[in-house]
Amino acid sequence: MGRCSVCLLVFLSTLTPLTAEDLRQNERQRIEVIQRIAPSVVCVMDSAGAGGGSGVLISADGFAISNYHVTSGSASFLKCGLNDGKVYDAVLVGIDPTGDVSLIQLQGRTDFPFATPGNSDNVRAGDQCLALGNPFLLASDFSPTVTWGIVSGTRRYQYPANTFLEYTDCIQIDASINPGNSGGPLFDIQGRWIGINGRASFEKRGRVNSGAAYAISVNQVLNFIDHLKCGLIVDHGRTDFTVESDEQFNVIVRQVSELSEAWRRGLRSGAILESFAGRQLSSANDFQNVVGIFPEGTRIPLVWRDRSGRHSATVRLGPLHSFRKAPELPQERRQGPPDEQAEAEAQEQPSAELQKLFIARDGFSNYYYNQLATQQLLTPLRMRLADIPPAAAWKIQLNSVEQDPGLQAELVVTADTIGLRLNDRSWLQNTTQPNMQEEPAMFPGFLIAIGQLHRMLQKEGPAFDELTAAGKTLHLPSGRTLKVLNARSGTRLARWYFDDQEALPVALDLEPEAATDEIRLIFADWKTWQGVIFPERLGIVDPATEQVRWLQTSDAIGKQESGK
Amino acid sequence: MKFHRRTLLTLAGTFLPPFSALHGRSLDTDSFAPQQVVVKLFGAGLGSLDSYGTGVLVTAEGHVLTVASHLVSAGFLTAVTSDGKRFAAETVATEPSLDAALLKLKTEPSDQFPCIDLKSALDPEPGTPVLAWSNMFRVAAGNEPVSIVHGVIAASVPLEAVQGKWKFPLQSRVWLIDAITNNSGAAGGLLTDDSGRPVGLIGREIRHAVSGTWVNYAVPLTTLRPAVEAMLEGRKLAAAQPQRNTPALSARELTARFGLALMPAVLERTPAWVDGVIPGSTAAAAGIRRGDLIVLIGDAVITSEADARRRLAEYRPGQKIAITVSRDEQLQELSLVVAASATDNR
Repeated sequence: MGRCSVCLLVFLSTLTPLTAEDLRQNERQRIEVIQRIAPSVVCVMDSAGAGGGSGVLISADGFAISNYHVTSGSASFLKCGLNDGKVYDAVLVGIDPTGDVSLIQLQGRTDFPFATPGNSDNVRAGDQCLALGNPFLLASDFSPTVTWGIVSGTRRYQYPANTFLEYTDCIQIDASINPGNSGGPLFDIQGRWIGINGRASFEKRGRVNSGAAYAISVNQVLNFIDHLKCGLIVDHGRTDFTVESDEQFNVIVRQVSELSEAWRRGLRSGAILESFAGRQLSSANDFQNVVGIFPEGTRIPLVWRDRSGRHSATVRLGPLHSFRKAPELPQERRQGPPDEQAEAEAQEQPSAELQKLFIARDGFSNYYYNQLATQQLLTPLRMRLADIPPAAAWKIQLNSVEQDPGLQAELVVTADTIGLRLNDRSWLQNTTQPNMQEEPAMFPGFLIAIGQLHRMLQKEGPAFDELTAAGKTLHLPSGRTLKVLNARSGTRLARWYFDDQEALPVALDLEPEAATDEIRLIFADWKTWQGVIFPERLGIVDPATEQVRWLQTSDAIGKQESGK
Repeated sequence: MKFHRRTLLTLAGTFLPPFSALHGRSLDTDSFAPQQVVVKLFGAGLGSLDSYGTGVLVTAEGHVLTVASHLVSAGFLTAVTSDGKRFAAETVATEPSLDAALLKLKTEPSDQFPCIDLKSALDPEPGTPVLAWSNMFRVAAGNEPVSIVHGVIAASVPLEAVQGKWKFPLQSRVWLIDAITNNSGAAGGLLTDDSGRPVGLIGREIRHAVSGTWVNYAVPLTTLRPAVEAMLEGRKLAAAQPQRNTPALSARELTARFGLALMPAVLERTPAWVDGVIPGSTAAAAGIRRGDLIVLIGDAVITSEADARRRLAEYRPGQKIAITVSRDEQLQELSLVVAASATDNR
């Protein structure tokens, strides 16, 4: 038949049937995998040992991931059961309310068993998967319940249903997921951790498994993990433009804020957005999915097409919700006992030792962990600066290399003034009341940024109003994942980047003034000069091209007294 | 869709990710062909009736097999193919005894679609691992792949099910599946074996008549195939396309021939309520009573008073007609023999 000539002839598959021995071997392997992964599964309860959901240990020092909707019903302290039958104290560390993720730390051991993450981008529909957790709170001895299924779909988007909990880029599974499974791990059949089971399509049967459940992908969780470890209320990102799909599977840019970086890079309504964060887009859902997996403040590359051709640029994601306190969930979304009175009565007072691990502060989930992470960055920095004598003023000679041979610059920096002489021109910037008119057009904001560097490298420690560790992020254009230290003075936010080798920062991003391009500096080859530590090479990122213009330090002098 | 054959075959190999290791063995990528033949359906819903469903392409010209649900009877259907393209779909025919409906996508004559070959449908034994492909819960939008759930054919049984208070009209052997396929929008999806070979059409959200539990079932494609072929050839009588050669009986003719009066058609779709029965008439002999609602004549669903008059016009003296009526919230199947004496003057 002519008609069937175009039918897909897929029915020629010649699979050899499985033998009984194959099946037995599969079963043995499955049992072995479950035995290996089960110890990492956590039964999460409130501090009275009631209610509960699930979680998964991710490191030997007791860090464990769960759902925000599991831990949000509890206070800052929790009880966690493992399949060794023991109950451990735990403290809330960080929360990601939008992504429905929370990080807790179990106490009392340094050798906790933990799960090893896989790459959830490699998960395919049809893959076998294992969901472990504590459905219906069945595990009175804390040995997790195991359900098996297949991946029903990937890159699913689930709208925030009556809440702010938004599931982007998630994994849909048909393994049974029931109340109590929330926060528990999803594993692939090799036992690699690929997701956090958190949501299901519940309908006519009530709140029980319907064969359609959703797991937050482990790759998304890992994008947020260092932020969570910093004790933050982590926010997701948003763009300063909107998009919609058209019939030809193009993603069309709709409204672009005229104050945004995207606007300054030339993105306009009507452009076709081809890729975002390296992912090709064919629908508005695709776009939502990609945006949703990044924390606020991440710099993202994008590619678009318009009448004048194809363009690329990077933009920084703004904050989506800016929660200052942990947001409340509707009662039905929370787990655990609804009767707060009874809960309060039943709660035992956490030990004094445990209480030290929690500090409440606006904008933070647990400020104790932020202090810890901030000190981990500042302590080596201070030790490095201890080698040099205190210098109130710097005098730095810079030469350009590569692009602009012959460019000569001299920088004079004091606590309140920065002077720059560039070839025959000069600028003088006041650091307390900076003025963009006093910035060189070639690199606007450079003087203000150098002023910030001067504050950062004070021998007595960085001089800012507030310093907070802010996790790890992808730094562009270097492409490296770096630790971030946010330094605030007044309303100005400077993002300092650190790697694992160097105690001194490797980069700085700073918005010198609202609605202007960031000045982005790269510090390479730190060197101790005459009384001052300064990088031998200083890179300035061109926002339009993402190219780095390098300046070479030829001499640097630090002076005790004011250099005015 | 200006596909050529080569494009289609290439798509199957590259467009979709590899299928891995269900039940411990690898499946080749062609197994993902079901993804290409399943379409998402969107139409009119109301209250608890969903506005979305699933269908399966059964011809390269764009015929889609689905269940004979409210989406089909309401019309105004849109089908979204696996590549995300949207087509209006019209009903070609329905087969109530199998709860099947055949749709045709409104396409350009040159459009070609990937489709299943019903002739190659398997008739597996209970115990066979299966996969169910559907637009359940409308999780996938546009060109996103439909959801897949896994299970095993648990039994091959006659279906005894109810839809609300009504006995479900499906009169065929079905497969019970241990996967949860009884979900919003899943009906009309494709059941395959674990190599992606077509097996059945996923059934509707109905409950078992005795236990009241939600039944996960599929109608075998081998059972559906003759009905689909008949619908394609226009052989079978179909409610959606009434035969034009027999004019509907007028209300007067209906009373003259059967001794039956229906509630007058005040609206376009006035239901076929029995308004009166002449004592001693054919209708009275069959046991039809005033107040009955005629729901089936033969195996055709009667959607209106006009539909009943049209349908009854097709029967000739001596023919036996099975008429199903709803009376006191119960379905009653009555048998009516068209009397020779009742023949009109034609």
